[in-house]
Amino acid sequence: MKNYILRRMVVNVPVIWLVATLVFLATSVLPGDFVAQRLAAQDPTSTDAASREAQIKRVRQELGLDESIPVRYAKYMGDLARLDFGVSFANKQPALDSLKDGLPYSLQLAVMSLIIALITAVPIGIISAIRQDGPADYGLRFFAILALAMPNFWVATRALRYVVRWKLWDIPSSTSPLLWEDPVGSLKLFAIPAVAGGLASGAGIMRLLRSQMLEVLRQDYIRTAWAKGMRERTVIVRHALKNALVPVVTVLGLTLAGLLSGNVVFENLFGIPGVGNKILVAVRSRDVPVVQAFVIIIATFVVFVNLGIDLVYGLLDPRIRYS
Amino acid sequence: MAQEPASLDIAGPSPVGFRTYSDLSRAHRWYVSVRRFMLHKPLGALGVILIIMVSAAALFSSTIANHDPETIFKKVAVNPLCDPVLAEQALTDPTVRLKYPAAVLDCGGAAQPLLHVAPSSEHWLGTDVLGRDLYSRIIYGAQTAMLVGLGAALIATVFGIIIGVVSAYFGGTLDFIIQRFVDTLQAFPPLVLLLLFGQVIADISLRTNIISLGILGIASTVRIVRSAVLSARQEVYVSAAQTIGASDARIMARHIFPNVTAPIIVTFTSSIGIYILVEATLAFLGLGDPTRISWGKMIEEGRRLGPASPGVAFYVGCALTLTVLGFNLAGDALRDALDPRMRGRGGRAGF
Repeated sequence: MKNYILRRMVVNVPVIWLVATLVFLATSVLPGDFVAQRLAAQDPTSTDAASREAQIKRVRQELGLDESIPVRYAKYMGDLARLDFGVSFANKQPALDSLKDGLPYSLQLAVMSLIIALITAVPIGIISAIRQDGPADYGLRFFAILALAMPNFWVATRALRYVVRWKLWDIPSSTSPLLWEDPVGSLKLFAIPAVAGGLASGAGIMRLLRSQMLEVLRQDYIRTAWAKGMRERTVIVRHALKNALVPVVTVLGLTLAGLLSGNVVFENLFGIPGVGNKILVAVRSRDVPVVQAFVIIIATFVVFVNLGIDLVYGLLDPRIRYS
Repeated sequence: MAQEPASLDIAGPSPVGFRTYSDLSRAHRWYVSVRRFMLHKPLGALGVILIIMVSAAALFSSTIANHDPETIFKKVAVNPLCDPVLAEQALTDPTVRLKYPAAVLDCGGAAQPLLHVAPSSEHWLGTDVLGRDLYSRIIYGAQTAMLVGLGAALIATVFGIIIGVVSAYFGGTLDFIIQRFVDTLQAFPPLVLLLLFGQVIADISLRTNIISLGILGIASTVRIVRSAVLSARQEVYVSAAQTIGASDARIMARHIFPNVTAPIIVTFTSSIGIYILVEATLAFLGLGDPTRISWGKMIEEGRRLGPASPGVAFYVGCALTLTVLGFNLAGDALRDALDPRMRGRGGRAGF
């Protein structure tokens, strides 16, 4: 077991290195760098061409952009090895700081979506499986497949429209409070994106849980449990659900990783200053260190979530042995 | 006593005297399979019908749509004497107003674009924010959706099959290296990859979007193909082919690939819906091809106008939902039909 974990960790190192290299290559071939972008945004007529050139040169030197790509790559890798993600071009703060600012918002949205996904998916998945091919099953499955097909930005804009039209509640537009700062205002803001995002991921989880339940319910140990005269509740929850949930854990982990990297669409629509919004700004303004830091951290997270999932599998299902 | 050859494998009239499935002509067999599919998988059949409708809309847009999608419709004057050109001049030039009788100039606001009018017999779903026919635009939008869906799925499937089969067949170091690349592609946040793609290529075209979505899809296709090949490789027919000296390429193409097509077909079908959704999301965020009619962009336009044009975002969203629904339903039905684990007791697990 210990060997297995160690080996998986070692295997993950080249993956993270590949991600870091890929994002470096992608950001260094971007046409137009940060300096040009920034100066173009300023009034181009205020200074003459020569002093502009000098200014560009000075700033590029300051940011280390004047060196050749191999030199920059070597420096970048050296910094990464010391877990130094560099300084944001835009505000000269450590690149991680701007992501840290966005993280609570994205985290809150992710956790709320996930909770909604679970409280819809688990009961619906169970009911659909034990009433297989009945009207309830057909109805719930159709609902799930419909929820998967509806574009979530469309659902969110429709919901927003109805909330405004029927004056259900006021959506804060200038502020974006977190749950622990202003619970009511925060819920008002996050309710629609959390439900719209949660239903879509919930539909996926429900379909997976249903097919898993159907497989488990045909196992011999379930028949044994029935034969022992156990209550339906015990058979379904303790014997069937517990085993059917194992693959759902995988999907949960990956869903969380996806949600954490920031839901750009919802953050954009509702003006939530989360990670997704920050990354959109960083890519558009060529703030290379922030983009690199973001990609590497998310990739590391995904890689370790995958490892964690495999380990949890072993805990939940003793038949799985690591070799 | 020599054993009778199995009658099922013989073409032509069977010796037993009744017609079996393999006696039927190819066309008739096709018909029987389709009928069986329709009867046993009504929701899958619904999906297929939806796909046929969207494909028809994409292929024959100019016939199905009743207007040009880019034409901006102007209000039609109620007053028969009215001259819209003069009326427009009269707004700025007072001498025109004096020269002509009032009846000629009174156009009741004609020549103004028909902004988001309600559905009528002329404009079946009304007009959009610029006065273009919404129904025709939705029909033409199907072209973009189908191009992206099919194009990206094709790229992901072709490269996924090649990489997946080679990786699983040869195994060892090659497999290890390929799998690390697949891990990398899966760990990379997809939206950032799409954003970077959009920024590297200065003006985003539909082709850029198709290629970047296809590349993103390769990773999961490789995974699926690889796991299917890993089990197929253990089969006796593979060692038999190796024993008689078949080349690796031949074994992969003629022995392994035909036996792993089922999961590939399922992934191909259901992934099309996902690509269509992602393209719409990109267009919604303003990262799509600005010159093409895209459903995502139309929803964005409808949203920006908010309550002024309630219909636009709604109808377009319905079109998008039904298209994706069609591919999802068809993919699910195919999975049930092709996955042997889903057959037998309980039968119709899944749709």
